[in-house]
Amino acid sequence: MKRLFGALSALAVLAATSAHAETLKLVEVITSPERTEVLQGLVDEFEAANPGTEVEIVSLPWGQAFEKFATMVAGGDIPDVVEMPDRWAGIYKDRLVDLNDKIAGWEHGSTLTQKTIDMGRQTDGKTVRMIPYGFYLRALFYNKKLLEEAGVEGPPRTMEEFMAASKAVSELDGKYGYCLRGGPGGLNGWIMMAATMNGDNTFFDENGKSTLNQPGSVEGIQFLIDLYQNGYAPKDAVSWGFNEIVAGFYSGTCAFLDQDPDALIAVAKRMDAEDFAVVPMPVGPGGKAFPTIGFAGWAMFDTTKDEDLSWKLIAHLSDPEANKTWAKRVGVIPIHEGAEQDPHFKTEQFAGWFETLNGEQYIPTVMPTYLEQFGYFADSIALETSQEALLGQLSAQEVADQWAEFLTEEYGRWKEAQ
Amino acid sequence: MVEPYLYLSPAVIVIALVMLVPLAIGISYAFQAVNLLRPFQTGWVGFENFQALWSDRKFWLALTNTFWWTLGSIIFQFFLGLGLALLLNTRFYGKRLVQALVFLPWAVPTFLSALTWAWLFNPTIGPLPHWLAALGILSEPFNILGDPNLAMWGPITANVWFGIPFFAITLLAALQSIPGELYEAAEIDGASTWQKFTKITLPFLAPMIAITVMLRTIWIANFADLIFVMTGGGPANSTQILSTYIFTTAFRKLDFGYASAIAVALLGLLLIYAAVLLVLRRKLVKI
Repeated sequence: MKRLFGALSALAVLAATSAHAETLKLVEVITSPERTEVLQGLVDEFEAANPGTEVEIVSLPWGQAFEKFATMVAGGDIPDVVEMPDRWAGIYKDRLVDLNDKIAGWEHGSTLTQKTIDMGRQTDGKTVRMIPYGFYLRALFYNKKLLEEAGVEGPPRTMEEFMAASKAVSELDGKYGYCLRGGPGGLNGWIMMAATMNGDNTFFDENGKSTLNQPGSVEGIQFLIDLYQNGYAPKDAVSWGFNEIVAGFYSGTCAFLDQDPDALIAVAKRMDAEDFAVVPMPVGPGGKAFPTIGFAGWAMFDTTKDEDLSWKLIAHLSDPEANKTWAKRVGVIPIHEGAEQDPHFKTEQFAGWFETLNGEQYIPTVMPTYLEQFGYFADSIALETSQEALLGQLSAQEVADQWAEFLTEEYGRWKEAQ
Repeated sequence: MVEPYLYLSPAVIVIALVMLVPLAIGISYAFQAVNLLRPFQTGWVGFENFQALWSDRKFWLALTNTFWWTLGSIIFQFFLGLGLALLLNTRFYGKRLVQALVFLPWAVPTFLSALTWAWLFNPTIGPLPHWLAALGILSEPFNILGDPNLAMWGPITANVWFGIPFFAITLLAALQSIPGELYEAAEIDGASTWQKFTKITLPFLAPMIAITVMLRTIWIANFADLIFVMTGGGPANSTQILSTYIFTTAFRKLDFGYASAIAVALLGLLLIYAAVLLVLRRKLVKI
């Protein structure tokens, strides 16, 4: 009976759609050939389960994705479903469909972790604008061999130990302590260090003033400047981006790397599993660490021609099995409860992230991506001024003041709009 | 007299539509507030953008950098290109192979060559820093792209590599159009190689040199790809040129009004430069 019903409904769908095949446009923005392949696989399953539906995948390379996507939307070429990075959600929030009810009525909705729902609601705290597909959480990779050579016992657990270990490794010829990310994408490191030394990760005080230029935060910024200026990081690390820091780590140039699980893919390919491991970020004077957490998720625009079908696609991409596949191949922490029981996530390399998630002294920091100009702040202002600071053209206090001023003003604007 | 213009009219109309109209619109943006993040605060603002430009430290920094980037690139491109053209104008064994190799950089997409050069300068993977250190040019093998005082040489090197073929091709064509009898006559009169070069080759090349140098200068000053991929304007703005600054202002800050103001300033400067060069050319070429 069930089969008959299935066949009948499939026929009905075929009949309904044979006249005009439904086409959904899916834009992915953080791309690599491997990722696109995984996504294509998931989409193929979806197409097979929904005959008559075609999903067109548009891949924008991450380097130019922001401007390309902004131009696409401004030009009216708006996709149905989009891979939405956290920091863009603020810009597009008014155009994204509220997914609250849809998740409530979804069979897998109840196993989504609370963090997933919270992050999906980050734009206003109430409306789920996207279902995150996984998390990028910072943890500390360390090179066991280098530490041993430098006579350091075990990975650092506090900032002091971190500085001391970096110093010890840097005394080796041609080796450095820290793979510092001074170039694109470096902001997370600065924010994390500032929060850890300040013992607090709220970005704004009750008056709406940025906390980034409080004395503790300035100390954190100074910490990174010291690392660089004392020669505990390679000289050209001032312009290092993701590829360079990861290459710096797996080539054995520097002993520490703070990164998300996605770096594990590249590192594991080139280093023996017994030569490195991952631990949580070192804690500051207050006994706490504030690793940044980032994410991207699936969202749909309200201009979609077929809201149900678009939702079906999002639900398919987010179901526990698909998500586990995605998380393994893309290098993110999965979104459904119980995923950490999978053997893939039970290794010494993955331990650092789950330890961070479960440890009380580790408090994930969400960047204030709801601010409209956050992307500009992260990619231009912070990038340029932090490089000036590393090179000694600006002091830690000056950088902190500039950032605080910009963020305070942006926050004021955001609050006004609420 | 009207007839030829009638025949030309379709072309003129098309050119006006696809070139002049966007140009006018682009220039008009410079006098407006056009910021994608503040879509409701648009309108005419007069010279406000230009006033902001005048007191913008980054603009002047980018202008200075544009000057050095353009000058450094054009000088090396021109002299190396001229040398290559002179070499390729002679006969030697394996010339065809050399010729093909010389023009190869021209065929490589800039994005790819920028990435390749960026990695060549990276001491972890690339050989260049180690060679430079072995030659005693660098004190130790480090990435010059990370040193604010040296970073500009990275994109310039890539640009020289990329741009030599242009000069080689154009100058070679000009060289081959010089009548051989002139050299034969000069030889009979007992002219030295240097005299032949300065009295025959250079005067014949001069018009071509003036035009190609002008074209390339404008092109290089506007050419952001290499810098954008290799350094992104960094570290600390030390390789930020006007066109990368326009790009970040327009597509990171999403402020198209201000970006247009910078672009108009750059356009003005290049127009002045072109005018000067054209006057010089007229003086040089006395035919």
